[in-house]
Amino acid sequence: MTESTYAELIGLCAGALLLTSVLTVWYRSQRASIRALALQGVALAALVAVVAVDRSEAELIVVAALVLVLKGMVLPWVLSRRPAPATGAPAPPQRGAGSAGDHGAGDHGAGDHGAGDHGAGDHGAETPMLNPVATLVAAALLGIVAYAVIWPLVAGSASPAAHAAPVGIAMVLIGFLVLVTRRRAISQLVGFLALDNGIATVAFLVSGGVPILIEFGVSLDILLVTLILQVFSRRMRAVFGDTDVDRMRELRD
Amino acid sequence: MTPVYWGLLAEIVLAGAAAAFAFLPGERARSRLAGGTCAALGAAGVVTGVLAMTGGAGGLEIAVAVPVEPLRFAPDPLGGLFIVLASSVGLLISLAGAVSVHGAAASRTAWLALPLFLVGMQLVPAAADAPSFLLVWEAMALGSTILLLAGHTASRRVSSATVWYAVMSQLSFLLIVAGFAVLSAAAGGTSFAALSSVSPTSAPAAVAVVLLVLGFGSKAGLVPLHVWLPRAHPEAPSHVSAAMSAAMVKMGVYGILVVVVRLVPGGPDWWGILLLVLGGVSAVYGILQASIASDLKVLLAYSTTENVGLIVLAIGASVLLSAHGVDAAAGCALVAALLLAVSHAVFKVTLFLAAGSVLHATGERNLDRLGGLGRRMPWTAAAFGIAALGAAALPISSGFVAEWMLLQSLVHGTRVDGVPVSVTVSIAMPLVVAVVALTAGLGVLTFVKAYGIGFLARPRSAAVAEAHESPVLVRVVLVIAAAGVVLLGLVPGPLATAVASVLPGGPEAVVATAGLLGVDLVAFDAILDPVALVLLAGVLATLVVAATVQAAWRHPQRIDASVWGGGGLRAQPRMQYTATSFAEPVVRVFDDVLQPARDVEVTHAGESRYLVNRVTFSQSVTDLVERGLYRPVLRVVDRFGVLARRIQNGSIHLYLTYSFIAIIVVLVVATL
Repeated sequence: MTESTYAELIGLCAGALLLTSVLTVWYRSQRASIRALALQGVALAALVAVVAVDRSEAELIVVAALVLVLKGMVLPWVLSRRPAPATGAPAPPQRGAGSAGDHGAGDHGAGDHGAGDHGAGDHGAETPMLNPVATLVAAALLGIVAYAVIWPLVAGSASPAAHAAPVGIAMVLIGFLVLVTRRRAISQLVGFLALDNGIATVAFLVSGGVPILIEFGVSLDILLVTLILQVFSRRMRAVFGDTDVDRMRELRD
Repeated sequence: MTPVYWGLLAEIVLAGAAAAFAFLPGERARSRLAGGTCAALGAAGVVTGVLAMTGGAGGLEIAVAVPVEPLRFAPDPLGGLFIVLASSVGLLISLAGAVSVHGAAASRTAWLALPLFLVGMQLVPAAADAPSFLLVWEAMALGSTILLLAGHTASRRVSSATVWYAVMSQLSFLLIVAGFAVLSAAAGGTSFAALSSVSPTSAPAAVAVVLLVLGFGSKAGLVPLHVWLPRAHPEAPSHVSAAMSAAMVKMGVYGILVVVVRLVPGGPDWWGILLLVLGGVSAVYGILQASIASDLKVLLAYSTTENVGLIVLAIGASVLLSAHGVDAAAGCALVAALLLAVSHAVFKVTLFLAAGSVLHATGERNLDRLGGLGRRMPWTAAAFGIAALGAAALPISSGFVAEWMLLQSLVHGTRVDGVPVSVTVSIAMPLVVAVVALTAGLGVLTFVKAYGIGFLARPRSAAVAEAHESPVLVRVVLVIAAAGVVLLGLVPGPLATAVASVLPGGPEAVVATAGLLGVDLVAFDAILDPVALVLLAGVLATLVVAATVQAAWRHPQRIDASVWGGGGLRAQPRMQYTATSFAEPVVRVFDDVLQPARDVEVTHAGESRYLVNRVTFSQSVTDLVERGLYRPVLRVVDRFGVLARRIQNGSIHLYLTYSFIAIIVVLVVATL
């Protein structure tokens, strides 16, 4: 692969990562966010594959496959699993006393355009702390901060991969923004995973990834955390009727 | 691989085993096995301590993962004495606990915390550097806090007591850490050997000593840091309060001794005055509160403050005297301090275990509702009575010997070869003698009340009338402990020599054995020989008894009739003195200090002004220090706490926002 092709492919993948990051913030529908997260996982896998081909490292190909399977498929699947019998029927009324009425509408109506979606079902849209425009402005500002902070560090490097490193930091910050602004547990998980993707992106861009053993360990950790939090959010739904973490204020003492 | 090494290792292993037994199902098996192993832990500690006292070298090094020096445990003779003290108390209370605990005090948590508490306490005097000391100190504090919390579901007062205790523990810990930090910074090392290179006259030494004395004083229960004692001791399970009072507060005393004897010996005289004032105020205030307390365990708790006050007073006298060159009296005062510590440990463990038996048998701690237990619980009553002799410092108990020695050193401390040494000493010593005398007097009154009201006369409530004696093993423990009180009092010579041998100066210049195991204060030519006194008293008593019996023989017939009985019952239980009424004269005399709140409520019969249906009298005494010092501080803290709640409002989003802002700030700052 020529140098220019490599640079272009890196740029493409980085762009896709950043775009999907912004999409996770922008979408108000949980399903759409999860889909964006899956796309982000695929883009990350592609990025690893490009780096692998460029460095001709077989080990990195394995990592790319691992990333694809875990972040592109397994984690989004875990996140999108329905808590109730997953037949598409409306959730049983005893579950979710507060939001049971519009539960079904949220499930089916939750389109891919989060901004226009006002379904209040648990798996559907949510009401973030910031409105979509403010969120996008914040994401843009975070991107600028990331660039300003990282550029002095990578300016001296000739590698096109290193030049894309600010994207990783921007993903971390945007993932954090999702964590801060979303109310529902699942949406927060999405933010957490986007944040983790950002860290992985920085690692791959700057140093061609961490040793495969560590990569395995981290992946396992992420999977475990996600599974545990998924279980937690189910319990929360069972107890409170929804997964708005603001309801848990009283547990602090 | 010295014997001390194996001893310390055995302690840690046994503590681990006891903690493992705590997980057993079944309350009975758990208590027996874990309690038995804790007792073995105590036995191992006694052996280790004796080895260390007799000059056994070596110790245990535990490497830690973080890049600091390994934890070193290598007891010196002084530490050995306190290991023996803590371990014997641990041994006794474990045995008693194994058979007497039930309910929350026998839970897995409680049995897990007890070995932690005991092993922490036994390792504190073994620590040879500041980090190890602080680590085991915290283990001790944590274990005791958990034990105290064991009964929190039963009563709200337990949680409140635990909060007080935990806060005071941590306050004490912070002061100690700060003190050691100042000392380490000046010395350039954290081992006790390095710390002892700091000059006692330097500024860091002065700051460190004040911090450490306050920190250890809080653990020891000195006024004004004593507020946790009268809360924690009554609420803890009895075997735990026995260990806390008899052994744990001694670790505070040990800390003060380490500072003034081992780390920075030969300090200026104001250290001595500081300790004298702290100790004197604690002694008088403690015994005053004890003398008017009607809750048996609160009484014992305040008596702990009094005894620790006396110990610290003796240490202070020693520091003051040695600063003025009166070495003989200084050494004698220090030996007296150690003897007071030993005797307090012995009689206080007896008193608390006996109080625990009473509480278990009757469900009552309130002396006003006790009475008549002497006939119903003879073993417990006898043990309590003997230990009360020790607490009141009456002959032939160990407490008497210790206070006698303290008074000797105070009386002889003002002059060397007939020449007064300094104005400070000449003023201080008589005052201190007065304090000790007042304390001793009130001490007698307090324990006459505790024993007389609690165990003699007739039962004042139904539950007490049906009291039953405690399990056999508890009785055995009580007898052993009570025998200890008397034995230590009968053989002061060997005891004082052994105790003095752990001090840097050695026993030769201070004490020697004289007569029938009596003690001879070499410098003052004063001899106390209890065995001889007992024999003499025995001979005299025999003569008197013989004469009396003979006289009685001559007039065999004698009819008893109640003088003003009028044919009715001579005495209702309600006609007896209660603890409150017995202490009323003291309350009147010290009215200004105690500021009691009295309330008399008279209910008239019908419309009559002259016929009284009932009179209710209630009196409550709040802790003056608590009301005057702690409440205002707590109010201020509370106000800030309310403000802090806005920052910590429970919203996870707010917390995440804090981290988010922190990250961005760090990134930006790193770039600039």
